[in-house]
Amino acid sequence: MSGDTRNTINIVISGVGGQGVLTLAEILAKTALASSHNVRVGEIHGMAQRGGHVVCTVRIGPNAHGPIVDPGTADLLVGFEPVETLREISSIKQDGYVLLSTHVQYPVSVSMGKSEYPSQKEILSELNKFTPNIFEIDAMKFAKKAGSSRSLNMVMLGAIIGTGLTPLTKQAAIESVTSAFSKRFEPINSRAVELGFEEISKQFTK
Amino acid sequence: MTKPKELLEDSEGIKKLLLANEAIARGVVEAGVRLVALYPGTPSSEIGNNLTFMAPHIPNFYFEFSTNEKVALEVAGAAAVAGVRSMMVCKGPGLNVAADPFFSLAYVGVRGGMVIVVADDPSMWSSQNENDSRYYALMGNMPMIEPADPAEAKSLLLEAYKLSEELELPVLFRTTTRVNHTRAPVEFGKIPKLSDKVEFDKEPYRFVPIPAVARKRHPWLLDQIAKAKEIAEESSLNFVEGSGELGIITSGVSFNYVREALESLELEAEILKLGITHPVPENMIKSFLTKHKRVVIVEELEPFLETHSRRIAQRDNIMVEILGKEQGYFSRTFEYSPRIVIEALAKIISRNTSINWDDIEEKEKSLPDLPPRPPLLCAGCPHRATYYAIRTATRGKAIYPSDIGCYTLSIAPPLETADILFDMGSSITTACGLSQVTDQDVVCTIGDSTFFASGLPGVVNAVYNHHPISIVVLDNRTTAMTGHQPHPGTGVTGMQEKVPPSDISEVCTGLGVKYVKVIDPLESVVDLVKEIREMVSWTKENRAPAVLVSKAPCALLTASERRRTGEYPPIYFVDSDVCNSCKRCLNRLSCPAMYLDPETDKAVIDETLCNLCGTCVSVCPQGAIKQEEE
Repeated sequence: MSGDTRNTINIVISGVGGQGVLTLAEILAKTALASSHNVRVGEIHGMAQRGGHVVCTVRIGPNAHGPIVDPGTADLLVGFEPVETLREISSIKQDGYVLLSTHVQYPVSVSMGKSEYPSQKEILSELNKFTPNIFEIDAMKFAKKAGSSRSLNMVMLGAIIGTGLTPLTKQAAIESVTSAFSKRFEPINSRAVELGFEEISKQFTK
Repeated sequence: MTKPKELLEDSEGIKKLLLANEAIARGVVEAGVRLVALYPGTPSSEIGNNLTFMAPHIPNFYFEFSTNEKVALEVAGAAAVAGVRSMMVCKGPGLNVAADPFFSLAYVGVRGGMVIVVADDPSMWSSQNENDSRYYALMGNMPMIEPADPAEAKSLLLEAYKLSEELELPVLFRTTTRVNHTRAPVEFGKIPKLSDKVEFDKEPYRFVPIPAVARKRHPWLLDQIAKAKEIAEESSLNFVEGSGELGIITSGVSFNYVREALESLELEAEILKLGITHPVPENMIKSFLTKHKRVVIVEELEPFLETHSRRIAQRDNIMVEILGKEQGYFSRTFEYSPRIVIEALAKIISRNTSINWDDIEEKEKSLPDLPPRPPLLCAGCPHRATYYAIRTATRGKAIYPSDIGCYTLSIAPPLETADILFDMGSSITTACGLSQVTDQDVVCTIGDSTFFASGLPGVVNAVYNHHPISIVVLDNRTTAMTGHQPHPGTGVTGMQEKVPPSDISEVCTGLGVKYVKVIDPLESVVDLVKEIREMVSWTKENRAPAVLVSKAPCALLTASERRRTGEYPPIYFVDSDVCNSCKRCLNRLSCPAMYLDPETDKAVIDETLCNLCGTCVSVCPQGAIKQEEE
């Protein structure tokens, strides 16, 4: 019943506009290309991007022709925010992996009292109905530790590599990060990647 | 985020990860295009966003952000008539704006190669409709090419210029969102040197389609399309892949889904992939239909290739089952995915899919209702203050015609200030119509870029026909929605030169508007409410249009400027001792940087998201929102 993706790893990245989801996807894909892998990235721009829910896909491997990852075919779901992770959980294939940043960003509908934000416990138990392989990280904490809340996406990049699910190395990821941003942000970004990597590889080897 | 200068690297053979839009910008350089004109529109925006920064570094190259798509097509069309290679780029609805010159251009033709890139938007990710632009090629008799991915976006573009020059006709280069916004490896080719200026050879009895000329040009155009058909029959852009009993005809992005579907189903089939989709290679299709008992047509939106296939089968008496939208195997709405193709093929060959999507959907339905998170105005967006003031001043009772830009998001609660919208510029003109048939106040809003693109004729119309309407121009100093392109009001050109900006208030005065004011919406919300009240009563008393320019830069520009300089104003915070949990700030502003602390039941400002506009300060009746002292 699992989706047959044949040597191709499908990654879905879900978050909120402004969190750096698109940038993470591009850096991840550049790392893949620099490591001689075939790769596709699917993005949505324009109106869909403004502060709303954003989803992006990265597919690495010889069988990636188009950018779309269908429901039930993602090897890894990367969530920048708990509710946004749950919103995309049906993309995961059986026994796929979920990487979840626990920092909550309340949607306006919740602030206005029009809807409720589910509890962390409820979110985890719902995710568990789809897969038991869930890895949590407080990426905001590590981003601030690295020097800027804006490096949250780089923490997540490190965490993705830390899962060991991609054919990419931490060194290659840091090299793409370095070449993509101005020198000024290099220490913060590299540190963010290191912190994310460390935290998740620790969880994975447990 | 591939930098524009990377797209200029003269390094043949290297592979870079490019968005198809970046690949097209690179293709412009490799094809030796001399002039590109466009008005930005998602999903095509990044083509211009890159070219504007590449342009100053390409000798003899000219790029402009035209005021709208009709203007852009005329600018680029003239360049190709003069004899150089040119390009016009637009989104699907943009081609509707440019439809008038589009048809004339096909009649008169071009001397230099010309490509019109049109980016359709199946699923309407950022468009008001998903009309299928392929019918323009059919109706206007313009050859059409459709790339399937970023690599083809460049390689087929180079072919499009050759085809254009061979036929002396512009070529429609039709993409869709999932092509434009896919990143994939693309190999760089050679960069040719561009020639200097050309001499315009006059040929009025070709290029001025008075009836006597047009009557000669139409048969000429049909002859060229007949030639194009011969070229399409031989072209390597139309090819057959794989083998099997089942036949599949496809084009564009759907080709990828077909390949993935066949792999997933472990199904053998022969694919006819069409790169040139107008005119279609009829003989090629004929022999393909003859060879197979069953042929499936996979294409997003309308049954374009399907209708052609049925026509050819009928005409040539081919006994073949053509399966597509007409039997309901595929939908005429929204974009496709591998799953959609897998499910349709599985149904056709009576097989099960390897993934049980019904199960997944059932499981998804059992999830609790999640709080929605639709797109909304950014934290710090000056439009939020303006809409809050418009709604407050008119107590939500006026009619609010809206326009195309980020500000259409004011449709959502609590701002709810978008009541009617057709197309670019329609805020002012629909306001005109509404003011004549209702007694309600009419307050319309239009962005600065949209104002220059299509608002001006509406303003003149309102003055001439003395429509009592209030026009608020939301001047955030950029074309924000499509990625911050300049426009005539910004004082920057597509070549990145500084020029005197057109002043919107002066333009309105010049057009005859008697009431024109300018205000900074972030200065004082109270004053803003007062100004809007005053404007609305003025229009009633004077039975004439009034304009208020609400002028403050886009929050994203302000934020990036602050990051650049490292200078930030002091942060805002909610004094929880003063906050009495009335929630007016949350309920009336819907700012994404504010939330309710579930424990204290009081409002909180998330300082990592706040863009420091201060609008919330004047909305709080308790004075609980404060700014830290410097």
